[in-house]
Amino acid sequence: MGLNCIVLVREVWDTRDLVGEIAASASELNTGRLTTRFEPEDLNALEMALQLKDELGGTVTAVAVGASRQVDVLRECLYRGVDQVARVVDTAVEAGDTSAKAAAVAAAVRKVGMPDLLLSGLDVVEGENSQLGVEVACRLGLPRANYVDRLEAVGNGSVTCVRAVEGGYETVRLPLPAALIVGVALLKEDPRAPRSAKARLKLQMKKAPIEQWDATALGLSVDPAASGLAAAGYEAVLQREIQPRMIEAGDEGALKQMVQELKA
Amino acid sequence: MSNDIWVYAEHNAEGLTDLSLQCLAKGRQLAAELGGNVTALLVGSQVEPLAEAAAAHGADRVLTAADARLEHFGPDAYQRVVAAAAKTAPPRGFLFPASTQGTDLASGVAQALGTGCVLDCQNVTVAADRLVGRRLEYDRNVLTSYSGPVDTLVVTVKDGIAAPAEPVAGATVETTNVEVVLDDADLVTQVLQRDVAARTVNLKEASIIVAAGAGVGSKENFSLVEELARTLGGEVGATRAAVDAGWTTLDRQIGQTGETVRPDLYVACGISGAVQHRVGMMDSKRIVALNNDPNAPIFRFSHYCVVGDLLEVIPKLIALWQA
Repeated sequence: MGLNCIVLVREVWDTRDLVGEIAASASELNTGRLTTRFEPEDLNALEMALQLKDELGGTVTAVAVGASRQVDVLRECLYRGVDQVARVVDTAVEAGDTSAKAAAVAAAVRKVGMPDLLLSGLDVVEGENSQLGVEVACRLGLPRANYVDRLEAVGNGSVTCVRAVEGGYETVRLPLPAALIVGVALLKEDPRAPRSAKARLKLQMKKAPIEQWDATALGLSVDPAASGLAAAGYEAVLQREIQPRMIEAGDEGALKQMVQELKA
Repeated sequence: MSNDIWVYAEHNAEGLTDLSLQCLAKGRQLAAELGGNVTALLVGSQVEPLAEAAAAHGADRVLTAADARLEHFGPDAYQRVVAAAAKTAPPRGFLFPASTQGTDLASGVAQALGTGCVLDCQNVTVAADRLVGRRLEYDRNVLTSYSGPVDTLVVTVKDGIAAPAEPVAGATVETTNVEVVLDDADLVTQVLQRDVAARTVNLKEASIIVAAGAGVGSKENFSLVEELARTLGGEVGATRAAVDAGWTTLDRQIGQTGETVRPDLYVACGISGAVQHRVGMMDSKRIVALNNDPNAPIFRFSHYCVVGDLLEVIPKLIALWQA
């Protein structure tokens, strides 16, 4: 049996190693020098879908919302073996809040065709669209499991997965179609860790056209403030100043001093 | 529109969770400013016995949604029950703990109520008669305030938002059972198994924690970490990877789905510093990281960064500490 998966992928600000003030003023963010990256948990969700395809056959489709800024996440999906990609590009949707984006993504999923599994990452700390997975599942009327760590079994009309909860794990079974929101930190050597882009596919897919849909194509009337919430102000947060002191393991004197300071 | 604050009071085998008690305490502050009341909503199979604890920690009124079909958390069923209850008397603010359950549920309930949700609030304030959810973004560089023309603001709140209130002995409270209406479609998620550790240790109260990550490598090496903890008079903590490897128990896990700790001294052994772990320990007063990779992300937010093999470094530290 083949399984059809749709993966929601996001390009997010790369907030590692931020330098300088991000809050330019109470009403503006200084995002000019920020770089972006493929949301790491979305990459884990993508890998889950690709492994299902490797094992069971079927298709994987990736859907993104918003014009590409620095990293074309859909092309990165093609480089990893995704069959089909589609992007929602619409200024009203992009200016909208998570609810507006969720409505657009739900419409795009319907246009692609309802999948057996809808997958996305949870997006643990960044503000951008971290409720997207839950909202899209609600809009499509799909049962969902959140904080999914791994799959146990898929078939016979259901999916069994293990999800993280406080102090442990929970094994849950959902009927297909279902939405899985993946939230897991993976070590490089983990069998669930995302694969790299394939050189062959990079050559093949470099210029492949990427389908773009606007609100009209999706038959959508956009309410840019569907949730009624908006960022009302920004404050720069005074950063805790830590000056990391590097100590080589062989430096007995430095180790001794460190222990003395810690004991003091 | 009422000026009431609702709190989703999450519970586990030990009773109301600490974060739920913090929500109740925060709810009290907000209700006092708004001139409203605090309602605690309890959902589960047998929740009536928890009503008293909710009252003792600040609830003026308790709503219980008790039904055998709600024994385990299922997003669809819980969402339907919670949203239906809130629709009968929409509160000004609806506080959920920022737990795995609260996070999933809050987004869904907000959607069902047609309102917005702010996740992971460090604080919730009242400004011009409206609630404002404030959350840290951009790797804690920016505190963003969210508000809007919404009747009901749904938020999840982070650990540390308010100290749980001292319980009031013998608090009596008006308890109302809400009607639970569920269809088969709401009950499609089956919980087959739960592996949740009983808590044998309170890491939150430890002033010294020595924690192990995947880089520790083996159960045998893990015992070295335990020895270091004993020497320092601290507790042993672990990352999810170290717990998954079977070196220690789940109740010692620190991070996103484990404990959030702020000890005086945190010694991270073989921990790379993935964000899921970092969020649980980054506010420790002093952080010592031991890692053989000089580029390990944890070195960016540690006070002392010891680069080298743990098997070499840990015995040295034990000897120096005892000297």
